[in-house]
Amino acid sequence: MSKSTRIREKSPVMDAVIWLVMIFVLLCCVVPFLYIIAMSFSSSRAILNNRVTLWPIGFNTEAYRQVFAYPNFFRAYRNTLLYTSLGTLIALAMMVVFAYPLSKSRLKGQPIVMKMVVFSMFFGGGLVPNYLLMTSLKLTGTVFAMLLPFAINQFNLIILINFIKTIPEDLEEAARIDGLNYFGILIRIILPLLTAALATVGLYTAVFFWNDWFYSLIYLRSDQYPVMLLLRNIVNGTTMVGEAGGVGENASVAIAIKSAVIITSTLPIILLYPFLQKYFVKGMLVGAVKG
Amino acid sequence: MKQEYPALAVKRPKLRRYLYNNWQLYVMLLVPFAYFLLFKYVPMFGNILAFRRFRPLTGPFGVRWEGLRYFRQFMGQGDFWRAFFNTLSLAALNLIINFPVPIIFAVMLNELRSLRFKKLVQTVSYMPRFVSTVVVVSILTELLSPSSGALNRLIQSVTGNPPVFYMNEASYFRPLYILTDMWQFMGWSAIIYLAAITGISADLFEAARIDGAGRFQLIWYVTIPSIMPTIMIMFILRVGHLLSVGFEKILLMYTPSNSVVSDVIDTYVYRMSIAATAPQYSYATAIGLFSGIIGLVLVSSANLLARRLTGESIY
Repeated sequence: MSKSTRIREKSPVMDAVIWLVMIFVLLCCVVPFLYIIAMSFSSSRAILNNRVTLWPIGFNTEAYRQVFAYPNFFRAYRNTLLYTSLGTLIALAMMVVFAYPLSKSRLKGQPIVMKMVVFSMFFGGGLVPNYLLMTSLKLTGTVFAMLLPFAINQFNLIILINFIKTIPEDLEEAARIDGLNYFGILIRIILPLLTAALATVGLYTAVFFWNDWFYSLIYLRSDQYPVMLLLRNIVNGTTMVGEAGGVGENASVAIAIKSAVIITSTLPIILLYPFLQKYFVKGMLVGAVKG
Repeated sequence: MKQEYPALAVKRPKLRRYLYNNWQLYVMLLVPFAYFLLFKYVPMFGNILAFRRFRPLTGPFGVRWEGLRYFRQFMGQGDFWRAFFNTLSLAALNLIINFPVPIIFAVMLNELRSLRFKKLVQTVSYMPRFVSTVVVVSILTELLSPSSGALNRLIQSVTGNPPVFYMNEASYFRPLYILTDMWQFMGWSAIIYLAAITGISADLFEAARIDGAGRFQLIWYVTIPSIMPTIMIMFILRVGHLLSVGFEKILLMYTPSNSVVSDVIDTYVYRMSIAATAPQYSYATAIGLFSGIIGLVLVSSANLLARRLTGESIY
């Protein structure tokens, strides 16, 4: 690839244009966050007088103090952590056990199940049938409404299947001759070789749970709400935090608090993201290969 | 195995041996497959409610056949058609604008000579994909706020125009929807094209260069045609999901005053069922099924067309 870059002709105008566009893209991605961070650390007077742009004015941590003093915030954060960790764990367990037999094309019935998986990516029950299934199973209002129905994601499943298919068949053959059964092979041979794929799929799943607000809204009770739903309720005015609300000084407190909630709920992803990026990208590419 | 057995009888030990060798795989399949059926296929058959009357506490499949009653009902509803055309126009606009953008972005990224800068742009531009829609819309609301938002302040200080409540204006809904989509997914969608470009043989570029191709011509005659199969497949996938516009984002951006353009099929279904004080589940299911079938028709025809045109298809 670097070879193909090198053989190209020089054209400074084109290079300059591309650099400008790329710098613009960078700014577009970063500036909104800088703005929100600046808001969250600024004094309410500075916000009220519209003096805050990309840098905190009248630096203080009052907004964060109020958010942390708000009992529902911690409850919501704990809920999010619970759904993310447990939900991801269940999903990974389910999908690995599903993916391993499905990676064996010679298995009778495998093609039908694969077709069913692919078909369900393009057609399924809409909002209402899914919702009614959850109410009939009496799962609404329990944490299982979050933990169970999203465990098998077809896209992630295909990523796993494709990963397992890349593991050489000889390895399994050897293990079978040594007397391991399929369960043993899955646990002792496949699983250790699958860590990269599990990281990828696990991250996608974790991001899904971390970011969800809609399913929590329709399936859960308000004391089970995750932090994203809390944020949504603060932004649309359903929930008030601290001294926020009203007009003037208080309205600008509200802005600082909203910003602080945005930052605290997104921080884990922003912090972890650079380290996990390679896994994310890997999954995107493997998943896109025909299943 | 004895030779004198007739052909039919030979089959049985074969099957038995097959099962003996593979039963563990089937046992493994049992739980996740049942799980998969329960959470994917039961709701799929739950679509039957579109033809049946719903009664609370009697399960998700309804109690009495009603034929096409609910379909006739929504077909005669102005609100439904508004949602239908809003969905189509939003989806079409979004496709026209946000489908080519990641391709252009990927091609441009590939033209960057500094690999470190390229890496940086990639890392930063993928990130918005992992930010929750709630956060995206919250940031948008703050940036565009008529009283304190940065954009209104900027415009006011430059032109002196009075502030605009962008999030509440119907005319700004579609541009905002499309721009935030671009912001969230441009970098991420480019990954696949970048990978395809990386996979192009260097010989092709070299040959074209020897023939006297400039940089633009290399892009136009080598890069783009080489990634055409990828573009085709991504296009099929996009068309297949055409009607499922970003429901969550729209719901977050939805206000009564922009509902003229922001009420799409999914939000309409939601408003008529779960969010309603008197939920019309059968009615909403009928609409959901209708749009699901359109989606299925779209994806199969796009797939067929792609196979005819390029020999590429997804199944």
